[in-house]
Amino acid sequence: MPGCIYIESALRDHPRARRLLDRFDDLPVVEIERYGEVFNRRAQNFRLQKSNPALIVAHKSGRRVLEAPEGYGLGGDHNYYFSHMLNCVYDCRYCFLQGMYQSAHQVVFVNYEDFGAEIERTANEHGNEPVWFYSGYDCDSLASDPLTRFTEYFVPLIANLDNAWLELRTKSTQVRALLKQPPVERVVTAFSFSDAVSHARLEHGVPAIPRRIDAMRRLLDAGWPVGLRFDPVVYHRDYRAAFVELLEQVFAAIDAARLHSVSLGSFRLTRGHFRRVSRLYPDEPLFAQPLVLDKGIVGYAREREKEMIEFCESELLRHVPADSYHPCEWHG
Amino acid sequence: MLIWVAALHCEAKPVIDYYRLRKQPADAFDVYRGDDMALVVSGVGKLASAAACAWMAADQREQAVLAWLNLGIAGAAAQEIGEAFLLNQVIDADSGERYYPVPATRAYFPGSACRTLGKPDYDYRDDGLFDMEASGFMQSTLYFSSAELVQCVKLVSDNRRRQDTPSRQQVSALLHARIDDIARQAEALASLAEAQASLEPALESWQRLLSLAHFTQTQQSRLRVVWRYLHNRGIDTEPVLRNLAAGADASAIIDGLEAIGHRDSEGL
Repeated sequence: MPGCIYIESALRDHPRARRLLDRFDDLPVVEIERYGEVFNRRAQNFRLQKSNPALIVAHKSGRRVLEAPEGYGLGGDHNYYFSHMLNCVYDCRYCFLQGMYQSAHQVVFVNYEDFGAEIERTANEHGNEPVWFYSGYDCDSLASDPLTRFTEYFVPLIANLDNAWLELRTKSTQVRALLKQPPVERVVTAFSFSDAVSHARLEHGVPAIPRRIDAMRRLLDAGWPVGLRFDPVVYHRDYRAAFVELLEQVFAAIDAARLHSVSLGSFRLTRGHFRRVSRLYPDEPLFAQPLVLDKGIVGYAREREKEMIEFCESELLRHVPADSYHPCEWHG
Repeated sequence: MLIWVAALHCEAKPVIDYYRLRKQPADAFDVYRGDDMALVVSGVGKLASAAACAWMAADQREQAVLAWLNLGIAGAAAQEIGEAFLLNQVIDADSGERYYPVPATRAYFPGSACRTLGKPDYDYRDDGLFDMEASGFMQSTLYFSSAELVQCVKLVSDNRRRQDTPSRQQVSALLHARIDDIARQAEALASLAEAQASLEPALESWQRLLSLAHFTQTQQSRLRVVWRYLHNRGIDTEPVLRNLAAGADASAIIDGLEAIGHRDSEGL
């Protein structure tokens, strides 16, 4: 539960904003003019805020659909992302969101219709060619779905655009709203997993691995396309055994042949994000590992990364068909 | 380190008594000190408050982290006299500038907005509180600390129904009546600051490390990262430093410490 709610004054009567306020009617509410006056202020400490973040209810103006960064996505020609939320309810130490914004508060943009119009326009610009939209770049796509009703609006929108694909990327188990809707073959829910050691040490607040596997299985059983993202793979003393165990857990419950896509990538952050995050968490072993800077990215040295990816890849390909596998390579 | 900021002696007195703070020799501002806390009496007005905060920050510049609490009285339209609030929005009535103290600890008081006025005003036209210091306090302290470590607690001393200026004794009595909750709020804030400060190794150990060899600026940056890590992981660096100290060069020291960090990090 957030510590308090900030709401842009102009949204007081917006139906989605009202629903959020009603949901947390015992929390203090502070009216603001624009979300940036709280979210983007100087002199904020992400680490301190993360222990008790507030919810900011805001209107997103300007461009709402942006081209996805290079290397993000599953190899399609047209990749875009949009963010109906900024920041994540979880606290994963490897995540770039820790160094992305000044603030750890969670921003919810309630003007879905504006996002929808821009998604529609973007899809139409590419004629009949497939266009991917990623919603899990600045937040977890599903973790706050019961609160934001994100899928209730955006899944039917994508279903009605013949060339649009949507990836919902999540570490949550919040699939109930999706299960209430008929499956859409162009809406892929991609579940991210790290092994049990990394989960215990680095993924604070993230539901347990078996519960997420169960959520994934329920979606598959209901006919929804599901993806798997083993990203990031984090080096530790027992990473090999832990990764093999994770695969066994996942594929004991999931039929690999039914997966839409599987990807794998090692831990990496841009130089700027790494610098900010490692300053915030000087006590974090992940950042004390022998990491190198290569092409603006901080990650494992080539040899270590090669060894890790080759091992994980060979184990993974024992379970999944090669044509559904997409490696994430950043050393080039 | 927690710094209390009060405009008047009568606002400061309940805190001074509660923590048995000791008065310091006379200087630009009246300052009282206790264990890991200090209190400054700023005088009335936002400029005085900002100046007192800057003065205290300069005085305490060797502290890794400073937390700040502005305690004082405020006028209100409808709120009852003696009610206490933790400010969640401070508006400077002259400039329109707004500040948002960040709620990073448990709140022992309900939240409220507060308008800081440049001169006394008894119109009681707004719903929130109004005072004469909070915006100066916020503007100044945010140069030295992050917004989670800057809080204001205000007690209502007058309202539309009772507009008399309270006496000094009445002000002290109002604050004294809520001193336990005020202390709890302050201690929550101080704990947050302490946790943040504990991430930084002691200055003496850092200076001792630097004295072992000549480190370039780049090397000092690397050294600081690994030193902070080893400090935070509670790793005993003494044996390594003892072995390295005799004639070790800067690179060897950094490499030696980083190797320890790397080994430790393998277990995550």
